[in-house]
Amino acid sequence: MAENGVGASVRRKEDYRFLTGKGSYTDDLNVVGQTHAYFVRSPHAHATINSIDTAAAAAADGVVAVLTGDDLAADGIGPLICGVNVTSDDGEPHRAPVHSALAQGKVNYVGDHVAVVIAETLAEAKDAAEKVEVDYGILPAVTDTATAADDDQQQIHEVAPNNQCYNWPFGDKAAVDAAFESAHKVSSLDLVNNRMVTNPMEPRAAAGEYNSGTEEITLHLTTQNPHVHRLVMSAFNQLAPEHKLRVVGPDVGGGFGVKIFRVLRRVGCRLGLP
Amino acid sequence: MNVNGESISGEVEDRMLLVEFLREHLRLTGTHVGCDTSQCGACVVHVNGVSVKSCTTLAVQAEGGDVTTIEGLAINGELHPMQQAFKDNHGLQCGFCTPGMVMSAIDIVNRNGSDVDEATVRKELEGNICRCTGYHNIVKAVHAGAKNMGG
Ligand code: FES
Ligand code: FES
Repeated sequence: MAENGVGASVRRKEDYRFLTGKGSYTDDLNVVGQTHAYFVRSPHAHATINSIDTAAAAAADGVVAVLTGDDLAADGIGPLICGVNVTSDDGEPHRAPVHSALAQGKVNYVGDHVAVVIAETLAEAKDAAEKVEVDYGILPAVTDTATAADDDQQQIHEVAPNNQCYNWPFGDKAAVDAAFESAHKVSSLDLVNNRMVTNPMEPRAAAGEYNSGTEEITLHLTTQNPHVHRLVMSAFNQLAPEHKLRVVGPDVGGGFGVKIFRVLRRVGCRLGLP
Repeated sequence: MNVNGESISGEVEDRMLLVEFLREHLRLTGTHVGCDTSQCGACVVHVNGVSVKSCTTLAVQAEGGDVTTIEGLAINGELHPMQQAFKDNHGLQCGFCTPGMVMSAIDIVNRNGSDVDEATVRKELEGNICRCTGYHNIVKAVHAGAKNMGG
């Protein structure tokens, strides 16, 4: 192997700071005058939101604001976008349900975001979040992939009949069918597919700053692609024009693809914004 | 309490976690929070020489104790043998799990000796999760570090 230049084995430059605790991940950063956001999430897999009472939370110690999906909509903050669109094998375009940063009218999974509490300290935000009263109307849920697409199954999203957003086949079906056709013996088995999630060690985190003089927003974000985040926040979420938005990606504790797309619910709270 | 050899005192709420005290009050942000439910081990520090998960330890539980964090290992810029071993063996990638890994590794060697076998290292690292590096190099690093610590 070469000793230097192309093909040489080189030492990583970042190891010293990572090994001595001097890395700088998003949650390591503090912004002057920052506030903290804490999200109220759905305990139900599928339910209507009949009402949300935020009055007690809003009056709690240290609370700056309590926002719901309706507040974001009134503010003109657009929903989350789906970054990858798949056209089905029959030519049907991707059916992407609207995914508001904070749920409106209905929650569609356990952990769906219902409200955000912004307070001076994280502890105050958590305490106040317990005071947000949500009245849910529980609906039947779909928790089993084997039957999720059955005709008589509960429908989750109107735009996705049979709970299917797309059909994305791989391989050569005709050749496989032919192989089975001519096989001496055919065995069948049920395959259980584990649920898979992309799960970096560093959780999602964001810290935002707003400069009211220049009207610029700086967002520190654990991200694999700051430019996409800036584009989406500007074009789809109408947060600000692109030249007024700066996205900074500090050290990132793993991404594996999921941190290419921004999850607005983690940042839409606009920490530090008035 | 004593943190990395320095005597520290502060008023904290009784519910404050040790990791919050270290990160927010002392700004020792090398100790990470990956889960806050005792699963990932990114938050491991030593209290009185023994590894603990600081996300599930109250700050007041360490009152009067000796706390060592990842920031307290290198002396005058020279890496602790275990840190050096992680560097030499590519035992890290994104670095988020690394502080906890190194603190746990030192505790494993302290308890099992510098000739600790691979099965023990693998078993005792079960409370530390890494998503990038793969455990192979981490175990290799712990072994090399164990040898170096033994002198
Ligand atoms: S943060 Fe303590 S174990 Fe994960
Ligand atoms: S190095 Fe990234 S999680 Fe371990």
